[in-house]
Amino acid sequence: MSTKSIGAEYLKGFWDENPVFRQLLGMCPTLAVTGTVITGLAMGLATTFVLIFSSLVVSSIKRLIPAQVRIASYIVVIASFVTIADQFLKAYFYPISKAMGPYVPLIVVNCIILGRQEAFASKNSVGRSFIDALGMSSGFILALLVLSTIREILGAGTFLGYQVMGAWFKPWTIMILPAGAFLTLGVLLGIALVIERKTMRS
Amino acid sequence: MSLSSRMIIVLTTVGLISGGFLAGVAQLTKERVALNIQKEIEEAIVEVVPGTTQNQKLHQEEDFTIFSGQDESGNTTGYAVQATGIGFQDKITLMFGINDSLQKITGLTIIDQKETPGLGAKITDWNAFLQFWENRDASGQLTLRKPPAGSLEELSTSEINTITGATISSQKVLEIVNLSLEKLKKIISEGKIAGERQDVN
Amino acid sequence: MELVAIFISAVLVQNFVLYYFLGICPFLGVSKKIDSAFSMGLAVTFVMSITAVVSWLINNLILIPYDLDYLQIVSFILVIASLVQLVEMFIRKISPPLYQALGIYLPLITTNCAIMGLALIAALNEYSFVETVIFGFGSGLGFTLAIILMAGIREQLDLADVPEPLKGAGIALIVAGIMALAFNGFIGMLT
Repeated sequence: MSTKSIGAEYLKGFWDENPVFRQLLGMCPTLAVTGTVITGLAMGLATTFVLIFSSLVVSSIKRLIPAQVRIASYIVVIASFVTIADQFLKAYFYPISKAMGPYVPLIVVNCIILGRQEAFASKNSVGRSFIDALGMSSGFILALLVLSTIREILGAGTFLGYQVMGAWFKPWTIMILPAGAFLTLGVLLGIALVIERKTMRS
Repeated sequence: MSLSSRMIIVLTTVGLISGGFLAGVAQLTKERVALNIQKEIEEAIVEVVPGTTQNQKLHQEEDFTIFSGQDESGNTTGYAVQATGIGFQDKITLMFGINDSLQKITGLTIIDQKETPGLGAKITDWNAFLQFWENRDASGQLTLRKPPAGSLEELSTSEINTITGATISSQKVLEIVNLSLEKLKKIISEGKIAGERQDVN
Repeated sequence: MELVAIFISAVLVQNFVLYYFLGICPFLGVSKKIDSAFSMGLAVTFVMSITAVVSWLINNLILIPYDLDYLQIVSFILVIASLVQLVEMFIRKISPPLYQALGIYLPLITTNCAIMGLALIAALNEYSFVETVIFGFGSGLGFTLAIILMAGIREQLDLADVPEPLKGAGIALIVAGIMALAFNGFIGMLT
């Protein structure tokens, strides 16, 4: 059972235990849909929806589930919310759904979600699980925004579709390609470690 | 209650509740999803066959569909052909419009593509590619102008401008259109669809 | 010839790791030594091929005919989770030495996006049964290829002077980026 303050419970998801930069989880979607800020944001919000509701449900029913079938149960819960998110996007945001391809259904295997159920929601109160989910989601959205902003501005000269770089700028096409995603994330991970070392020393 | 039965009951309950819940959500969204797909096609038809307000599906086979367009008075504005073929990177789905005498291509739009972003993907760009598809001569096969002409005026009506840096994607689009044109003329001349029999070359 | 195209595309042109970004966790986690990379690749290819078959059957014999498309995500992931359990039990009984080699990797495969991705992409592209099997097998090989290449490079990198902050995941991703660039060259192979 966690004993952190509510504030600390939330904030840990942002930096100390940032799911992407520190825990190295959920990298598939992070790399795949961060070519543009809009798809990165959509992924972040969809994952937030799934994480929060899955955590709420799992932590509410945790006492009813025998340990041996807990993973299977968590998976069914998560998969259901992913399906809802996917259907919602297909119905109300069709162009974005098309742009994201198979990656919305793939939220179901985003290790962040199952990881949080196993590590936290199944062992903590509903309230705390909600805060934890909120924090982790925020951290995830942060990672997605940083990556997609860099990739879209350098790779296409736009931000959310609006031109931000002048005509003098020749876009670095590599940034929108898979290679650019890998390279950017690798460098960002390095930077995250440097920042951590520096703050540890001071 | 033994552990195994408890396990089974829990799993079944979770499964049933989720299943029921999802069925409900699916019911709510089903219509809108189908509508979205339909709207995409209709908007494409209106874009490539100017003046169209309604359409009718005339013929459908795998990766190839023919629509006819009508205006408010019910007169035929032309035909729209949706076709899918192999692009440079993956499949390309496009739609082009042709007038009712099958002599002139009235426009082209790309519905689905996965070409290289920033390069091949320019086939969806009006300035770089799509504008050159208006008013093309559909009586024979179309060809690529390589290197691209400086202005629309310099292009002959059976030529399309290549996209600089995306020659192959441009070529693939052209191939799909040429192939579809032949298919369209063949199907209409054989009287296989309801529509006026056209005099085709 | 379409089958050959699907196969080559899955292994090289649209490589699951370097193009679709699937299977990154094991790709980064298990690519430090060539032999463990090879074992993981084998396990994944095996599970992927079976998943391809089962997911096709479920999708085309149950889900689509009864208008249950929306249950795709739930059914696929449950199938995968059960398959992995079964495969693990099976290998443990049939060949303990093989279990020793592959065993620990198998549970990891359940959340391997590559398997789920395979089922979803094959369903999205509406492949026939044979196409799905070829696609599954090819993607598994593509994953194995990528992970072995990565392990080979990382074994060499161990002896190189990598800057402190980039050690581990950082440099692995940068290497993956360069590999992705190289594999980019395969585009257009099938035109």
